Amino acid sequence: MSQQPLVEMIDIEKHFGGIRAVEHVSIDLYPGEVVGLLGHNGAGKSCLMRILAGAMIPSSGEIRVGGTPVRFGTPIDARDHGIETIYQTLALADHLDAPANLFLGRELRTRFGNLDEARMLRAAREVLARLNPNFRNLRDPVSSLSGGQRQVIAIARAIYFDTKVLIMDEPTAALGPSETAMVADLIRKLRADGIGIFLVSHDMHDVFELCDRVIVMNKGRIVGAHRIDEVTKDDVLSLIVKGELPADWSARNLEAAQ
Amino acid sequence: MIGRDQMHRASALLTLMLLILGFAMASPAFFSVNNGLTILLQTSVIGLLGIGLTLVIITGGIDLSVGSVLALSGVVSAMSVKAGLPVMPAMCVGIIAGAACGAFNGVVITRLRIPPFVATLGMMLIARGVALQLTGAAPISQLGEGFGWLGNGALFRMVEMQPNGFPRVIFPGVPYPAILLLVVAIAATYLLRRRRIGRHLYATGSNEEAARLSGVKVDWTKMYAYTMSGALAGLAGNVLMSRLVTAQPSEGVMYELDAIAAAVIGGASLSGGVGTISGTMIGAFIIGILRNGLNMAGVSAFIQQIVIGLVVIGAVWIDQVRNRR
Repeated sequence: MSQQPLVEMIDIEKHFGGIRAVEHVSIDLYPGEVVGLLGHNGAGKSCLMRILAGAMIPSSGEIRVGGTPVRFGTPIDARDHGIETIYQTLALADHLDAPANLFLGRELRTRFGNLDEARMLRAAREVLARLNPNFRNLRDPVSSLSGGQRQVIAIARAIYFDTKVLIMDEPTAALGPSETAMVADLIRKLRADGIGIFLVSHDMHDVFELCDRVIVMNKGRIVGAHRIDEVTKDDVLSLIVKGELPADWSARNLEAAQ
Repeated sequence: MIGRDQMHRASALLTLMLLILGFAMASPAFFSVNNGLTILLQTSVIGLLGIGLTLVIITGGIDLSVGSVLALSGVVSAMSVKAGLPVMPAMCVGIIAGAACGAFNGVVITRLRIPPFVATLGMMLIARGVALQLTGAAPISQLGEGFGWLGNGALFRMVEMQPNGFPRVIFPGVPYPAILLLVVAIAATYLLRRRRIGRHLYATGSNEEAARLSGVKVDWTKMYAYTMSGALAGLAGNVLMSRLVTAQPSEGVMYELDAIAAAVIGGASLSGGVGTISGTMIGAFIIGILRNGLNMAGVSAFIQQIVIGLVVIGAVWIDQVRNRR
């Protein structure tokens, strides 16, 4: 590919004492690409994404953003490089309202250093309306909002600040069908804008609907990395469960190529 | 948040009104200017401690050391005066000593990862022990008139010299401790509502992991809360010792419980993320008036303890019920 990858993770390792959570993993992500990251719980995918998000420091390996090596000590470092994360738990402060959550950790302030509530409210209203025209209750604590609305806030927070890479951890796991469709639409919209997305998911339907590539991890290693049109759901399931493709896979692919 | 918070504060305010009404009917002396001033003075100490505790409780923590830190700060101020420092700088030294205790709490909690309950319980013993050791458990008196200015002075006090040579107070004035409490309460409210650190205090208590992932410096925020709590305990200690014009190393035992009760009665949640200064002020006055009113009504000190104990349990129970919903 001639294009420069948005982000590369090269030979990443993460050990916890004697436990190897991530072993010699290298992945990359290009602009406007959705890459699905699959595997059992504990396969190392969440760990890998936490490293990319700056929430965990790798034991060894290199991360490059736009070809330049970087080092993330905190989530703020990753965000400063345009890497945003939507955690499965959404990471919202339940007692605060939508604007406060949207700007948490990077609050807008007036000349005197006071919180600029008016400007944050206006910006929040704008970005939330763009994602979901029905969004109201901006001043309610987010604990009183529906799962879909909370998801919208988490997404708004991730894309508001000049985002290049978006990590989504199980974005639809807690949502109903219409909300899932809304998130799927959003992912397509973001991809069209040239944002690269890592989609950590268990939902095979979502993965095949949205992803350009799939990477499957097992016991801390990558056991398969394929374009989505090279594999079937059964192939991917086999990778997840057994850590290898079905025996007939290469034969099938050869046939398809012919 | 807003609706439920305001409901809680309204009900606390109603309780306060009912208490005042009840005590006023029970004892005519309760509803007098002089007694009002006494209540203001008594409440200012609990109020200052309560503000510090509100900041800590909002982060989801607790500070059990404020009663002991109060005593240590007062002792340090008095010793500074004895060492020859003028009153104002001496009191500043005492407040800094309080802040240092608070900062120590913060370090133990954020660096050593000791739960706040245990860390501040330790500081409760340490600060009390240091205060007793420094003084040999004896009060420090003869601190000079200047030392009593903060605790006993009042704004707009009008005194007339009578022909017999005794002064007569025409208007007792507004006690400085009450003014101090008002100023600190306004400053803390501003901090919580308009400044970034206030927002981060709430976020830390609401969802610590989320706050951390959002880029909030959670440890720094907690350090801030505990240091402020220590400093305010120091300030309260100086007010109290100044009122007595004596530094008592054994002063302030169990004050932390009154202060915690004030914050919780005022709507602060022990599980974090919730609490207001105005609520805590109402709570502090409920405690202050309860103590004063029971005194005026001639209720024994033993019964008073029982009542306050029940109120504390009741307030925490209300907090639990609120969270379960």
